[in-house]
Amino acid sequence: MAVTVREHEKTPLWRNAAFLKWSSQLLALAVTLGFFVILGRQAFANFSASGTTFDLDFLTDPIGVFLREGIDTEPDSSIRALAAGAMNTLRISITGIIAATILGTLIGIGRLSHNWIVNKIATFYIETIRNIPLLVQIFFWQAMVIALPSLVAADIGTYWFKGSNKGFGFAWVSWNGGFWPWIVFLGAGIIAGGFVSRWRHRVQEETGKPSHPGYWAGGTLAVFAVVGWFAWPLLSFVEPILHGIASFIDAVPAIVVPIVLAAAALLGAAWWIRNFFESRRTPAGFGKLTDDDWFRVIFAGVAGVIGAGLAFLVSGVTIATVSGEVLTVAELVRLGIGNFFDWLGNGFAADGGQPLNFTKASVVQKGNFAQYGDTGAVMTVPFFAVWFAVTLYTAAFIAEIVRGGILAVSKGQTEAAQAVGLKRSQFLRLIILPQAFRIILPPIGNQYLNLFKNTSLGIGVAYAEIVAVGSTILNQTGQTLPIVLIWMAFFLTGSLMISGVVNYYNRKMKLVER
Amino acid sequence: MTGNGDVAATGHTLGGPMIVSDGVKKWFGDFQALKDVTATVREREVVVVIGPSGSGKSTWIRCINRLEAHQEGTIIVDGVELTNDIKHIEKIRSEVGMVFQQFNLFPHLTVLDNITLAPQWVRKLPKAEAEESGMELLERVGIPEQASKYPGQLSGGQQQRVAIARSLAMKPKIMLFDEPTSALDPEMIKEVLDVMKELALSGMTMIVVTHEMGFAKEVADRVLFFDYGTIVEAGTPEHFFTNPQHDRTKLFLSQIL
Amino acid sequence: MTTKIELPEIPEMAPEPPPHGPRVWLRENLFSTPVSGVLSIVTILVALAAYRGVLAFIFAPDRRWEAVTYNARLLMIQAYPNEQMTRIWLSVAIVVVLLAASVAVYRIGGRTTPRKVGIGLMSLGSFIVLGGIIGPWGIALSPFGIESMRGFLAWVIMGAVLVIGGHLLRTIPGERAKDPSIPILGVVLVAIFVVLTVLWTVLLPQPVFDEAGVQTQTMEPIAMTTRLPWTLIAILGIVVYFVMWFLRDRIPVGPTRKTLLGLWVASFPVIVLVILRDPDMDYGRVLTWYLPVALGFIVIGGLILNFVAGGRGEIGRVIGAALLILAFASFAFPMEFLIRFLLLSLAMFALAAPTFGGKGAGRVAFLSIWAGWAGLLTFFLALLTAPSTVEVASSSFLGGLLLTIVLSVVAIALSLPLGIILALARTSKMPIFRLMATTYIEVVRGVPLITWLIVAFIMLPVALPPGVEIGGVARAMGAMTFFSAAYLAENVRGGLQAIPKGQYEASEAMGLTTSQATVFIVLPQALRAVIPALVGQVIALFKDTSLVTIVGLFDFLHIARLVIPSQTQPFNFLGVLREPLLFAAVVYWMFTFTFSRISQRMEKKLGVGER
Repeated sequence: MAVTVREHEKTPLWRNAAFLKWSSQLLALAVTLGFFVILGRQAFANFSASGTTFDLDFLTDPIGVFLREGIDTEPDSSIRALAAGAMNTLRISITGIIAATILGTLIGIGRLSHNWIVNKIATFYIETIRNIPLLVQIFFWQAMVIALPSLVAADIGTYWFKGSNKGFGFAWVSWNGGFWPWIVFLGAGIIAGGFVSRWRHRVQEETGKPSHPGYWAGGTLAVFAVVGWFAWPLLSFVEPILHGIASFIDAVPAIVVPIVLAAAALLGAAWWIRNFFESRRTPAGFGKLTDDDWFRVIFAGVAGVIGAGLAFLVSGVTIATVSGEVLTVAELVRLGIGNFFDWLGNGFAADGGQPLNFTKASVVQKGNFAQYGDTGAVMTVPFFAVWFAVTLYTAAFIAEIVRGGILAVSKGQTEAAQAVGLKRSQFLRLIILPQAFRIILPPIGNQYLNLFKNTSLGIGVAYAEIVAVGSTILNQTGQTLPIVLIWMAFFLTGSLMISGVVNYYNRKMKLVER
Repeated sequence: MTGNGDVAATGHTLGGPMIVSDGVKKWFGDFQALKDVTATVREREVVVVIGPSGSGKSTWIRCINRLEAHQEGTIIVDGVELTNDIKHIEKIRSEVGMVFQQFNLFPHLTVLDNITLAPQWVRKLPKAEAEESGMELLERVGIPEQASKYPGQLSGGQQQRVAIARSLAMKPKIMLFDEPTSALDPEMIKEVLDVMKELALSGMTMIVVTHEMGFAKEVADRVLFFDYGTIVEAGTPEHFFTNPQHDRTKLFLSQIL
Repeated sequence: MTTKIELPEIPEMAPEPPPHGPRVWLRENLFSTPVSGVLSIVTILVALAAYRGVLAFIFAPDRRWEAVTYNARLLMIQAYPNEQMTRIWLSVAIVVVLLAASVAVYRIGGRTTPRKVGIGLMSLGSFIVLGGIIGPWGIALSPFGIESMRGFLAWVIMGAVLVIGGHLLRTIPGERAKDPSIPILGVVLVAIFVVLTVLWTVLLPQPVFDEAGVQTQTMEPIAMTTRLPWTLIAILGIVVYFVMWFLRDRIPVGPTRKTLLGLWVASFPVIVLVILRDPDMDYGRVLTWYLPVALGFIVIGGLILNFVAGGRGEIGRVIGAALLILAFASFAFPMEFLIRFLLLSLAMFALAAPTFGGKGAGRVAFLSIWAGWAGLLTFFLALLTAPSTVEVASSSFLGGLLLTIVLSVVAIALSLPLGIILALARTSKMPIFRLMATTYIEVVRGVPLITWLIVAFIMLPVALPPGVEIGGVARAMGAMTFFSAAYLAENVRGGLQAIPKGQYEASEAMGLTTSQATVFIVLPQALRAVIPALVGQVIALFKDTSLVTIVGLFDFLHIARLVIPSQTQPFNFLGVLREPLLFAAVVYWMFTFTFSRISQRMEKKLGVGER
């Protein structure tokens, strides 16, 4: 049959959907990049006008920053100060997440309680705490603690718990050199416990008799812990091996680092393109790749090449270390990996001392003043203010999530569980909690992220976390951009890790649905 | 290949080719949904497409107004080839009406606003004019009294009739129906089919994907049987239902009738 | 044919009332199981101790609440000059009038039952009585400046009156107690009346100086200088409500609501930029520069737009793209910002013209929107570049609670459009847009707000060309806007993803372009579905404004935490920290709690996505 085509001229460029789509995107990209280039050039111009050189050397220059608490209170360089600040951030984040989860779960359950007074108190808590800005709460708790009496000579002695305007001292355990080898024993105990538990489960399934897998697993762990407590020096044979690895890494030529990174970038791009072609492959071949598809392939390839180039470019940049040596980034990375294995090896030295030590808090005379001593643990005022406020605040949100999650498990589930004769404790454990947990997990993960980021409010009460330390360094050196990039790298990594863990569990728990 | 010469089952004279599909192929990832679909639909012709689910019949009519882009072959609608040219796509979209299985009415707009939206913004009619012809269309599908209600307040059959009126408001030359009665309760199917029959009698070019064999026998000029992404058999309804040639067709008809 | 069935008579059985009374209530709600009983007792003891602790804290003799009352104005508006206070009151009056009119026109407020009001009064009363009983003895309980015993009696009597009144209301005989007969607005009216009475009658100790310059205390009304304006404004609001209540059935609803909405939108920039900022306009320059430029753009731009909208789709696109490139290029060359912004707007309008230009009345509407936008843009730029006549000691005329409110409103108003654009980009089919939007959203959300504020305050000045300066308040506004946009984008994305695929297909099949489908079909549905989440974001943003104190802006919290505790003149409030902080917490709480209640009611009303 003859077909008449009225308009069959060549499609002009400005009517081609694929061209319009990609040209508009590229224009937007160009405008955005142009905007940053203009800002950046101006910043460089202003920097050089004010005499600030722009490099990473400042990170290793000596600096006069003192931290009130943390792994290193008098750091010799900016990079160490930032590391100490990062550790302080993590300290509050991890302890806060644990405390907020426990408190939030309790309050969330209380909010569902049939007990009138418990219910009302839980509601009151949530409505009060989550409607007041966190910063106000941090300031308030700080104000409350610094209104406590100060330590005086009469207070000297040891305490289980002691509060003052310097913070709280309390009895606590501390770890020694033997701790890390002992942890290895504990890790082995957990793995062994897992096996034992699985074995007991199998026994139960085969014989039908209750075989207490939980008790068995716990017992195994306890055995490992007790044995490890005394046997940890046996692991000291690991020390020379780790040192050996470290010296091997030091001997590898530095050029290997960029080669490995560049190869990873190129292989990644190639892998992506290969998978892309595979997904488009049909028995008829690749003939049906659209314009879009080709653009994607080209972009992936260009990205890979740029990544590889960057690896070599960045590896060649030289940085001066604290000791005054000038190293390239590649050498620095190699040094870092080597030092890590050295540090790991030192942890297994046989002369570390008993794994854990339990001590009470003490108040001692330091100079003219009474101060907390080195025993036990001391919670400083800034730490307490940030930790306490952040925990209470996040707990209020977690409570609402827990409540919502439990309510979302339908009433029918409860009735069905009761109808098949499960006891209340059983149906909570077997029916309600697993289902509620799946609903609760993603929003709780968000709250963990919020808590992690909210620790940065510590800057308001001079808690030495990474933002506070960073802004001090920034004021001293004028190196704004690197510090901001370090903050971003730190928080983005932390966020990615938390959401990674949450996503992993989320995938694992997901209902199999059609 | 065409039906009874040049006269349609509805009594109209068939015109020139309206839709030409030549060697059309389409993949979703690895899965080939269309394998070399070649067919021609003439002006004022009513074509019913049947076939098992997943046979590519819906994909084919979605390619005709470029809801899906085909990857190989040629589709020419009313003399305009479907390519990446946005001018062509705009033209086709305003000339080809489509009715969906799930109605897809806009829940936040009243029935009348649903109908007048596209004429106002695509055909650029003044609002009053669009509303006037919208009311006429609602009368044509038999529910003028529902004009100011929201879609959620209507029954399924009424919603589908609104959807048909909405497509007609663009004054299309071709109407595509993608299983228009599959989501309806049995008692509502008839009211929708009646509207479709009236439309066919008025001389509209139509492609209808459906399982309503009664409709096919009564109105269709031709029946296309799709299986495994291609047209296995085509013919006039009486020929097709009484004397199917292909084994697959026989099997399918024995299960469905 | 019917057969009659005789039923045996049964003795009449009145329905038994369900068991009730305090003992039943206690058994069911507090002591249902032994564990529950123990839990109840422990919780009650803890709660009582906490209540007593709070009372002891508030009424401790060494509490210096006068630090708050004396500095009330500082907390609210910081150092806004005394001579220009009328500007503040005018702004408050505008907001109150609009609020009253909206309540009337939108018919906000239902009815409640005497029973509910009674129960509310009873619980309030019992709290007060309880406070009188367990309150900390041995210290002055001095809400009225009365010593402990009389204070105790005052508490108990006041509480008892409330309890008895509530009980009488609750037990009105018959069904009337459960009839929704009390209008909620009536309750609000009573509350306003009570507050005004308190303002005029209740006395608080205020520090003053006698002739010899020695500090003493006298009893003064709570709001000595502000009670008259507050009363007048309250009366004005009530009058406006009743006027609108009378008019609302006599004027068309649609246009009235639209006008009111427009007034709300317009009121804010007018209040901040015109009334509060009081710009010193250079009218010569307005006549010789702003007006001609704006008119030129409106006329020439209008002609271009009219041409582009005239169905010439392809040429229109080319012209729009050319204008856009021209507008971007204008940023690379020295030029007045007005021209750059107008060019950029014209390019955007030209790109929209082929799809949204309309015909006939639609075209007129489109062109008037262009004229209005160009005019407004010029007007605001002229306002912003004129120096403010308000003489304040600090860098900005905004401060205190006023700054907090302005910051939140500006950030929300600006971040909503930005967030919508980001959400659309993130869900679009175009990979580079998606990549850019995703990068932006994840980077901004991944890092805490405080770092962005620090970036805005330390890094931005470094990156700006010499001569360009952005004030501290504007920098904070910018940082909060860009931060909040990323979160809003995620909320909106949730709404976009909830829209069924069929909606897109139907709009495509009808021939709507992607942008038309987005504006008419997708966004209205998506935004409606995410309103509760958006209100939640507003609350979060309001709380987050407190962070600007860390970068040194004089917001509400800054004054409560740093300014008041460092005052030595005229009164020594050095180190008085807990009182203003607690006050700040209560004020923040009142705002956010109100918002969250509104959000909950909206959520119920909307039925989340259901019509």
